[in-house]
Amino acid sequence: MFLGMDIGSSSSKAALINDKKELVGCSVVNMGTGTNGPEEALEEVLRIAGVGRKDIRYTVATGYGRVIYHNADSQITEISCHAKGVSFLMDDVETVIDIGGQDSKVIKIDKDGKVKNFVMNEKCAAGTGRFLEVMARVLGCGIDELSGLADKSTIDIPISSVCTVFAESEVISRLASGAKREDVAKGAHVAIVKRIAGMCNRVGYRPIIAMTGGVALNGNIVRLMGEELGQLVVAAPYPQAVGAIGAAAFASEKWKRG
Amino acid sequence: MTEVKKLIDRLEEAALNPAKTISESMKQTRKKAIGCFPIYTPEEIVYAAGYLPVGMWGGKTDISLADRYLQRFCCSIMRTNLELGMKGTYNLLRAVIIPTFCDTLKCVCENWKVAVPQVPVIPIVYPQNRLLDAGFRYMIDEFERVRKILEELKGSAITEEDLKQAFALYEKYRKTMRNFVEVVKDYPVTVNARTRHLIIKAGYFMDKKIYTEIIRSLIDALKKMPPEKFDGVKIVATGLIGEPIELLDIFAENNVAVVADDFAQESRQFRTPARRKGSPLEKMAYRVVDQRGCTFLYEEQKTKGSMLVDMVKKNNAQAVAVVMMKFCDPEEFDYPIIKEEIEAAGIPLLYLEIDLQMDSFEQIRTRVQSFAEMLC
Repeated sequence: MFLGMDIGSSSSKAALINDKKELVGCSVVNMGTGTNGPEEALEEVLRIAGVGRKDIRYTVATGYGRVIYHNADSQITEISCHAKGVSFLMDDVETVIDIGGQDSKVIKIDKDGKVKNFVMNEKCAAGTGRFLEVMARVLGCGIDELSGLADKSTIDIPISSVCTVFAESEVISRLASGAKREDVAKGAHVAIVKRIAGMCNRVGYRPIIAMTGGVALNGNIVRLMGEELGQLVVAAPYPQAVGAIGAAAFASEKWKRG
Repeated sequence: MTEVKKLIDRLEEAALNPAKTISESMKQTRKKAIGCFPIYTPEEIVYAAGYLPVGMWGGKTDISLADRYLQRFCCSIMRTNLELGMKGTYNLLRAVIIPTFCDTLKCVCENWKVAVPQVPVIPIVYPQNRLLDAGFRYMIDEFERVRKILEELKGSAITEEDLKQAFALYEKYRKTMRNFVEVVKDYPVTVNARTRHLIIKAGYFMDKKIYTEIIRSLIDALKKMPPEKFDGVKIVATGLIGEPIELLDIFAENNVAVVADDFAQESRQFRTPARRKGSPLEKMAYRVVDQRGCTFLYEEQKTKGSMLVDMVKKNNAQAVAVVMMKFCDPEEFDYPIIKEEIEAAGIPLLYLEIDLQMDSFEQIRTRVQSFAEMLC
């Protein structure tokens, strides 16, 4: 078994790949680096796969907490792992949009899942999962309810602030002036989509475009992203665990290379 | 301890402890020091006047006092310099020379007079159109003006012979540094990105004569070693300054070597040799005229992008790293142009935004490591 551990800022993910290069399990725990999240994610994936720690031949860690995770044989960045994970799971993807809890990346990849170029957001919560968490809190719903809420929108309400803090006060004032929650939710989605589209333009993008990270679970954002870019945008399977799956794929390769 | 290690340790120590190094240099040479702000100042005149020119390229400190004069959207080198000036760190300086290469430098020139009144300021304005004869003549007039101020400060004349000797020393320093950056390409392990930067930086706090001799010894000692094998990523780096030092540690951690640079603080200071003819001040002015590819010196057709592409080819590098000082408008304006040219040449480009006061490097670590993974 080959283990990939993706230790992010707000969640921990684990994935196991067997000798036949088949994905045998993945897990997501909503606790990131510095917590018990990695350990829980590992326990969970072992339980799903029905194997023990002794069955793991090689571990690759990735994500924000990769450097301080000492149980791995090596560490690789989440940019390389998301590229690898997408190519493990899907065919013909040339661009990956990964929106994580703390940062977001647009990655151009080749057919083998190797990174050709990438761009990362600056040190700011704009265009990240954190932006959506704040919006969900202000709108009084769970982050998983945002997509359904935005789907009901009938009016376009622009959220012009890219800064999460300013956007929060902008959203509050929109709601105070009588705007509907669903329209504000869609406005927040459009704001994040435009931010990411700017990154796509910087690095260049080609279809098929796959979205990874927790935000890819938001169907409304995936659809809006496709509309903004004018290209086919799809959510990767197991979007939150793609980095861990890529890390497991690297673990398998590294083991075979010795 | 080998000779190479001894010399490197000495220079790294000097670069990492500027205040101590400057004090020791002042004691050793019995000279008073004059601070030289970025990007270019006529250091040869300072040296000819019998002063010790010291570089002022900012550093790491908590910024509180400088907020009275410089907003947070000013570059951290200027904010740090003003802060340290206001805190009294630069009270050991006899004066500071401030050129006006950017909007912030122009403001700092005026701010300094009231914020740090105990350290006199000598402003200098380089010509925008340095390639015209009028610009060239104007530049010499400016050098003459600085010369007169320094003469008043020291209380005696700076002779042509003083200038000639100082210029000759600086030419020797620059030639030695050009040689140094060539030689260290063969030793990317011993002289990694961090060490390379610190060795060059040390020269800002030491007497150039003494420093040049040490660099000469280091070059000789390095040449006795066989060239080092290196299987990492070779890059050309550009920007104002290759700091904070943690950034260069991340380069080293990821087996990324700087084989050539276009940093304003490093190679831009010494890459252009002087012309043979003319008075010392004319030769100094010609060096500015002949300098190419510098963001701060106007060019009708910008050559920086093509220069970086050539540097990559000449040095068998794989990529260019742009180390962008946050809020450095001139460098930021150049970026889209050089990005287009470098990418058109098929050369991978890494963009890193830095700030001297930054203390979180995780994003930069991910960028550098991903870039290295991409190229390996």
